[in-house]
Amino acid sequence: MSSHSSTFALVDDAVTISIDTRAYRISAVKKAAYRMASKFTAVIEVVNEERLLLVLRFKPGVTEAVAAESTRAFFHELLDQELREHVAEETGPVRALILAQAFSKTDLIRRE
Amino acid sequence: MMLRAPFASRDAFAPSSDYRLAPFRFGAFDEARYVITNDVGEYVLLSRGELTAFVDRKLPTSSAIYQALKARHFLFDARSDCALDLLALKYRTRAEQIASFTGLHMFVVTLRCDHSCNYCQVSRQTENRAAFDMSVEHANRSLDLVFRSPARAIKIEFQGGEPLLNFALIRHVVERAEERNRAEQRDLRFVIATNLSRVTDEILDFCRTREIYFSTSLDGPADLHDRNRPLRGESSHARLLSGVARVRAACGPDRVSALMTTTPESLGRIDEIIAEYVKHGFHSVFLRSLSPYGFAVKTSLVRKYDATAWLDFYRRGLACVLDLNRRGIPMREEYSAIVLQKMFTPAGAQYIDLQSPAGIGIGGIVYNYDGHVYASDEGRMLAEMGDLSFRLGHVQHDTYESMLTSSALLAPLEDSLLESSPMCSECPFLPYCGSDPVFHRATQGDVVGHKAFSAFCEKQMAVVRHLIGLLEDDPSSRQVLRGWV
Repeated sequence: MSSHSSTFALVDDAVTISIDTRAYRISAVKKAAYRMASKFTAVIEVVNEERLLLVLRFKPGVTEAVAAESTRAFFHELLDQELREHVAEETGPVRALILAQAFSKTDLIRRE
Repeated sequence: MMLRAPFASRDAFAPSSDYRLAPFRFGAFDEARYVITNDVGEYVLLSRGELTAFVDRKLPTSSAIYQALKARHFLFDARSDCALDLLALKYRTRAEQIASFTGLHMFVVTLRCDHSCNYCQVSRQTENRAAFDMSVEHANRSLDLVFRSPARAIKIEFQGGEPLLNFALIRHVVERAEERNRAEQRDLRFVIATNLSRVTDEILDFCRTREIYFSTSLDGPADLHDRNRPLRGESSHARLLSGVARVRAACGPDRVSALMTTTPESLGRIDEIIAEYVKHGFHSVFLRSLSPYGFAVKTSLVRKYDATAWLDFYRRGLACVLDLNRRGIPMREEYSAIVLQKMFTPAGAQYIDLQSPAGIGIGGIVYNYDGHVYASDEGRMLAEMGDLSFRLGHVQHDTYESMLTSSALLAPLEDSLLESSPMCSECPFLPYCGSDPVFHRATQGDVVGHKAFSAFCEKQMAVVRHLIGLLEDDPSSRQVLRGWV
């Protein structure tokens, strides 16, 4: 199954998916895989600059329905993670400014 | 005469691209909605379409969701004059408690106990073994450490075993602490965590005129309570109720509170448990699950129900409590109240298990009966099971500085910070959660833990989700819940 196609195959308790790295950052892929660790273990392989290959290894005996649902949930999570990366990039400086402002009148910051 | 336009101008409905995003976290809330939160504890529910429109600057400025996001500091626009200052002030208020440092000091005055509770977390000893009492020398040295804390508010909590079995030492510590406090002028309070089976007139006379509170355990109706908390040859339940009545009569109705521990036998009996609290004049109940320490592990009790079963129990319990309130009977569920305080009060809640950095050492600290110092009550429980990870030192051999800067404390504090923990750092419920390095050390062998496998995470996420659902979707529940803050 790729991120742009609808083919799905459960082979030896594993699903192989392809990710286009122009659409998703690798950090977002890793975070999504980590969050889904109770469902499957993801093995990530970099194919080239534009493509990642993910093998989602499920527990032995997983049903096709469960694997398909987990794969769907992974792509849903991946979209959220990609959006989070975008928001974090944009709001990082504001977060630092708020923290600096919050503690600017305390003596908790060591001034070099 | 000027006519007021009945509608906003066309411009008001145009998407605005000149607002700035403030930092926030988000995640799926249910099938239809997302929740977004910020570092000062504000939240908004919205659809995914609204979320992406918000991030892409496509929200009409006149829309209700734009106004809600603006009012709760998720965006700044040209008319947000003091938004940054306000956000910084709120953040500073929430962070102030970190700087106030250790406020809770637990003295394990004895490990002896007259009960043999099957879920006991501290590996209690039989009554006749005086080797398990804290010495006066260790207590004095512990008090020296208490007053090294810069905290203005100091609470000394006496723990056990059953602490009233060593009341002479409690009396000594209280009198000595009061004496020192004449010069220190701290806000000094005392709590005795007791089963109340050993209350005497002498104890009540001593406590009556002082800021000493009693925290006890009531697990439900007599048969359930006595099954959970066996007392040789007697009914623990009867002794408890007698003790509660005596404390109330001598010291006042607000001096004693109770909490319960959920055993497998409790799961189907939540209505009876809460009715028992009402029957005996309690106005709050704390629905606690079993902890993975001590006898609860040795007897495998902790494995007899999972987080899902406890959450079902909690939801039914909360529904029962809310229903009581609707019928005019005041009752509060304490765990929910703590989470609500984190949502709706500027300073959040002081509850040690829901802090980041974790509350170990810097929120609460334990002086054990043998002079060893632990970063938390659960840390000393883990030590009784052979894991000394959270032992900071000894009151006689180590200094305040060496213990509070030891790697046993600083390493787990730093490693388990939610803001830098995998999954937690991006979780929308982070402002209402906390780091529990001792739980994760006990269950996963690692102070951070993988949250996808964490029962702590599962429970906390579900509790917060349930409370937000009630606040948003059930007006009568919202009214009661807001009243608990």
